[in-house]
Amino acid sequence: MNRQLQILVLVACLLLAATVSAHDYVPGEPQDHPILLKGGDLYTVANGVLEGTDLLFEDGRITQIGTDLALPEGTEVIDISGKHVYPGLIDLNTQLGLIEIGAVRATNDITERGRTTPEVKAYIAYNPDSELLPSVRSNGITTALVVPGGSLIRGRSSLMNLDGWTWEDAAEKPIAALHISWPRTRVITAWWMDQSAEEQKEQMAKNRRELVDMFDKAHAYSIAKQADPDLPKDIRWEAMAPIFTDDLPVFIEANDYRQIEQAIAFAEKWKLNVVITGAREAWRAADMLTEHDIPVIVSRTQNMPLRSDDDYDIAFKQPALLQQAGVRFAISASSSWGTRNLPWHTGMAVAFGLTPEMALRSITLTPAEIIGVADDLGSLEVGKKATLFVSQGDVLDYLEHGVELMFIGGAAVDLSNKHKELYEKYRQKEYPVEAAE
Amino acid sequence: MIIRILLTLLAMVSIGAAQTTPELGIRDKTPTLQAFTNARIVVSPERTIENGTLVVEDGRIVAVGDDITIPDGAAIHDLTGKTIYPGLVEPISQYGLPKAEQPERRRGGPPQYEAERVGADAWNEAIHAEHSWIERFAPDAKEAEEYLDLGFATVQTARLDGIFRGRAAVVMLGKGLPNEQVLQPYGHHLASFDKGSSTQQYPNSLMGSIALIRQTLLDIGWYDRAASAFARNPEQERPETNRALEALQGVRTDGLIFETENDLDLLRAARIGEEFSVPMILVGSGYEYRRLDQVKATRSTLILPIEYPEAPSVTAIGDEYDVSIADLRHWEWAPFNPYLVDSAGIDFAFTTHRLKKKSHFWKHLRTAIEAGLPKEAALRALTITPARIAGVADQVGTLEAGKVASFMVTDGDLFDRETERFGIWVAGELTHEMIPLEQTDFRGEYALSLRERDLTLTLRGDIDKLKGKLSFDDHAIKLQSLETELELVRFMAELDTLGIPGVTRFTGALTDSGLAGIYHTPDGIEHRFSALRTGDAPDTPDTAKVRVAERLSRLTSPNIAFGFTELPEQQTVLVQNATIWTCDEAGVLEDADMLCRDGRIAAIGTDLEAPDNALVIDASGMHLTPGVIDEHSHVAISGNVNEGTHAVTAEVRIGDVVDPADINVYRALAGGTTMARLLHGSANPIGGQAQLVKFRWGGTAEEMKMTEAPPSIKFALGENVKQSNWGDNMTIRYPQTRMGVETIMQDAFQAAREYEQARTEYAELGRGERERMIPPRQDLQLDALVEVVNNDMWVCCHSYVQSEMLMLMRLAEKFDFTIGTFTHVLEGYKVADEMAAHGAGAGSFSDWWAYKFEVYDAIPQNPCLLMERGVVTSVNSDSPELGRRLNQEAAKSIAYCDMSQEDALKMVTINPAKQLRVDRYVGSLAEGKHADFVLWNDNPLSIYAVAQQTWIDGRKYFDIERDKTMRRDLAEEKRRLIQKVLDADGSSSNSGSHTTGSHGPYDQSTSMPRCCMPSQGGF
Repeated sequence: MNRQLQILVLVACLLLAATVSAHDYVPGEPQDHPILLKGGDLYTVANGVLEGTDLLFEDGRITQIGTDLALPEGTEVIDISGKHVYPGLIDLNTQLGLIEIGAVRATNDITERGRTTPEVKAYIAYNPDSELLPSVRSNGITTALVVPGGSLIRGRSSLMNLDGWTWEDAAEKPIAALHISWPRTRVITAWWMDQSAEEQKEQMAKNRRELVDMFDKAHAYSIAKQADPDLPKDIRWEAMAPIFTDDLPVFIEANDYRQIEQAIAFAEKWKLNVVITGAREAWRAADMLTEHDIPVIVSRTQNMPLRSDDDYDIAFKQPALLQQAGVRFAISASSSWGTRNLPWHTGMAVAFGLTPEMALRSITLTPAEIIGVADDLGSLEVGKKATLFVSQGDVLDYLEHGVELMFIGGAAVDLSNKHKELYEKYRQKEYPVEAAE
Repeated sequence: MIIRILLTLLAMVSIGAAQTTPELGIRDKTPTLQAFTNARIVVSPERTIENGTLVVEDGRIVAVGDDITIPDGAAIHDLTGKTIYPGLVEPISQYGLPKAEQPERRRGGPPQYEAERVGADAWNEAIHAEHSWIERFAPDAKEAEEYLDLGFATVQTARLDGIFRGRAAVVMLGKGLPNEQVLQPYGHHLASFDKGSSTQQYPNSLMGSIALIRQTLLDIGWYDRAASAFARNPEQERPETNRALEALQGVRTDGLIFETENDLDLLRAARIGEEFSVPMILVGSGYEYRRLDQVKATRSTLILPIEYPEAPSVTAIGDEYDVSIADLRHWEWAPFNPYLVDSAGIDFAFTTHRLKKKSHFWKHLRTAIEAGLPKEAALRALTITPARIAGVADQVGTLEAGKVASFMVTDGDLFDRETERFGIWVAGELTHEMIPLEQTDFRGEYALSLRERDLTLTLRGDIDKLKGKLSFDDHAIKLQSLETELELVRFMAELDTLGIPGVTRFTGALTDSGLAGIYHTPDGIEHRFSALRTGDAPDTPDTAKVRVAERLSRLTSPNIAFGFTELPEQQTVLVQNATIWTCDEAGVLEDADMLCRDGRIAAIGTDLEAPDNALVIDASGMHLTPGVIDEHSHVAISGNVNEGTHAVTAEVRIGDVVDPADINVYRALAGGTTMARLLHGSANPIGGQAQLVKFRWGGTAEEMKMTEAPPSIKFALGENVKQSNWGDNMTIRYPQTRMGVETIMQDAFQAAREYEQARTEYAELGRGERERMIPPRQDLQLDALVEVVNNDMWVCCHSYVQSEMLMLMRLAEKFDFTIGTFTHVLEGYKVADEMAAHGAGAGSFSDWWAYKFEVYDAIPQNPCLLMERGVVTSVNSDSPELGRRLNQEAAKSIAYCDMSQEDALKMVTINPAKQLRVDRYVGSLAEGKHADFVLWNDNPLSIYAVAQQTWIDGRKYFDIERDKTMRRDLAEEKRRLIQKVLDADGSSSNSGSHTTGSHGPYDQSTSMPRCCMPSQGGF
């Protein structure tokens, strides 16, 4: 489908939809016939780039990859010669569906009250009709980890497909990980800070102590509960138990060197399946991270240096530094609406030394592995879900980006969004209109 | 004249102790005539009498010299071996005054926009000029003690609170009635940029403080003229009474003592002084060494605090990341500041003000001397200069006849570590005694024998705090409870090793030959002893840490990481074989050359010849574009970017607060950005005036300004200005609706028109008439608005929704002017045609949305639609992060709406240049334009493009290779500094190696770049 045709279809959809109010991008229907993407360049992630290769998917899963495939009856053939096919992009640190408009409190469900709220689950508040979702997926992002906010033990995240009728429908993995914000370790000397270095350090130690206390309690509960399943239920510690018993991943938001250093020691002590997020100074702790094989989710490569003396490009080049050191990492836009910038955050890292292959892996297969869905997502391989998209060219570069088709589990995704519609609407406006006064 | 009268008064003071105060008991008639003889007298830093006499009577110095006849009846104090110094003068203090009390802030309450007016004072609570602090002065013995203990006899005092702080008084630290202590009741007015205890909203930014100062200094003149016009012609509206303005009338001749926080603020204060011809005495910060030449060029006298930063804690791995190079350098350089200031020939006085602990004063002063400050300069800065600053140089500061007899007595050079201060006399009276003059000095080595054994007795240490031992062969017995009591010395010792078990106690007195006395052995038997003096006591080993040794760090400009050691030179440069994006009609030229000379583009073409000495850059495979221009930036601004208090603040100017030491300037250069409009924030409908700068890293604030640009000003609309998201308390400022935004703007424009007319009419009056008419008061806010409505100052308006943009265009049209640019302009696409017709430009965010309600309809296709409809469109940053990759922000329009690559690049080059009205100079690559350009390793609209070199005016401000070298140098510098801090931490045991070495502390020509030698030009 060329771009012009796409626009025509879009306009037709708009006209059809004109009578329905607000957000009316209909979630894709379950795949009911085989679809062949013909002649595209397949960025498989798992097996390199297969140029001019066909990809067939049926009942929501990829069934064949190759040339001259034997097609089942009723296969819809879409010729995408010269275009790129990618696995759907995955961002493991978003607030999508939890917030609509930053400054409007009524639309914000990110952070529950209290410093220790492991019991909350992100999918509960996920709004599948958020206007943000269509704008994000039209840039190639199919899957997002939706993460509660908070200052200490934040709650549990949910891995969501960005196309669905309800949160049940959209949930890829409703309980994906437990999230912790590591207490601040950095002494702030800026003019606005009214606490002395000592006071700050005292507060930091106190916060860290609090975290340890909470883990002690949760762990004690977990042990007691195993010994006696009839104990009264504490839903906080119940929520945390799987990190001790079932290897539920623990995502620790830790940005500066000392936070990361402490978080690693903490994770070792509790034998956690830990993932460091934020990770602005992971490059300083790269050896420690590789030694313990701890993966990292790097927030925003398009970011300022953390410290005044840092290299101007430290955030740009951090993924390359991690790659050189052998740290496993995913890249995240760490945002709500800004999740749509995920491809640019990744391309930026390529400009500053990351290999293109690793760049793509860091927003597909690596995050799928980290969150435990690599059997279904993250690469173009036979047997995996047909969660993928077609773009004009290099999805990481502004010059060739242009997502034209998307499927989530084989279901075709409506790539329209509020922005495209408003653009089309106002292109129809004529001038002069009579001035009001 | 006043001084002479005062002197006379002073002389009369002591005739009868109290002149107007009734004596309620027996009158004191103790004679006051005293002679201090056989002393070394330091009359002034230039003149010392080796063996002289000082005669004092009635609080004054009657005579001083080496050939003085002592008047009959004088009480004589023999000061053999002692030195007399003038009492020190503290030029700034709050001595004897109540401290400013901050009214309990209305936490959680509504903001306070208006002052409580008392006694016809100023409209702003940060102005206290109506106060003369003599009114509140009461001597405070405890506080006086602190100063006296350091050697001060005279202080200038005022309450150091607010922007205009009121008038200081100059007082002595003597005891008695306040009336007797005053040398100068009406001293200098003081000022600062800090609003202090004021809880009034305005000003809440540095630029707001500056605007308030500027307007106040203007008002002084108007107030005077208005009063005389009214006196001549009462048939007009009565001008208000304003005691603050009244009090400030003399400030243009008397000057201001202006307190500053850092080197940049010091220069800002000096500029205000220059603008209004107000002489400035500037209270510095200790950072003067960073910009010595500029500080010197102010030709102001400085008052220097003498605080040094503590060494940062870097004991744990990781600590060092929290410490910046700038802080480490300051730790290392701060002790050299007085020396460097003095070497630069800058006139300065010392102050104890701003010391965390006043008791650190002498320690820090001695460190400054060890760092190279000559002692004479130090003495001058403690006596003559502060006396002159306080306006009492003919009364105190030297020990000349006729002056107040305030002096101190020491036993040696005031600045030597071992020297003792014995006491300080204020107006002839011993006001603070540290050690009695009569105290016998027992220090020395003595030989004595006890129990037929020859012993050495050593007494050393401070004259009134002795340490001692008895030694023989390899034994040493420590003396305990060693006490002096004028003529007697007492101690005890355990003499077991001499065969006397238990504690033996001694009492002794000096004799002609040594020391003699008695001792009691433990058995209770008294014995006599006699010791022969054999020599001086050995010097006390100097265990004090001396870290002034060698400076490992450099000074750069600015003096932070990635500052330049040398400013880039303007070069003739030929770029060859590049893909040149001209951003004008010439389009994109493949394989082309560009020649720059004298900061301008000399030619663009193919096969250009390289002139002699030209730098030739082979740019094969590279892309050459104009320097990227950011229409909307807030980098390089000191203090708050919003004067977010009043709804209209057109009087404030970003140009007053440009910060050339913001690392984000360097980072922007690294992203190819060469220029930015620095804007006031969006907290009010009519904000402050903007400043266009080129990112001339290493330059001064003034050097960064792009002077070719017409002025512009920030306006704002919508949620921010109606305070929608400011919390529930912020609901009392007009406007609270978009309707009110329109009307407050309309009112402002109307006022500007009327003001302009009134000023014109007044100017057209004949001279005689003008003298009879109260002139329209010059109002800096209305001045700016007059420029706005006359299209001399271009409006850059923060805007989101279509209705408000339409409103402002129509309003401007009513007043017959044009809006320059709508910035952010997120719903611009809805009124693109209207904007094109009005002639407004659009500076759009590339893709921001959903962060508040008014941006819910923002779309990333906005720039495309605006461009399609003929609006001059740019993409802007509003953020240091976006501001260093604006090429990418422009490229998003290629991704979202298929904009052509050339158009996209124009959105960050020629289009913003047009919006800023500087497109004749910059924004495209064409002959005659400024040589501002960027070399990229790839198509500049690609995410893979990395800026390799960034040039401004034919000077290379960023080079990716040079950046790598800088990183290595900084890492090495930091490593060495951290080691030095660690070394200093644990160095008390091996301090010997730390004392100033043979090569001297300040003769480090290799570590001191050209920029910092006081005599050189440069930064």
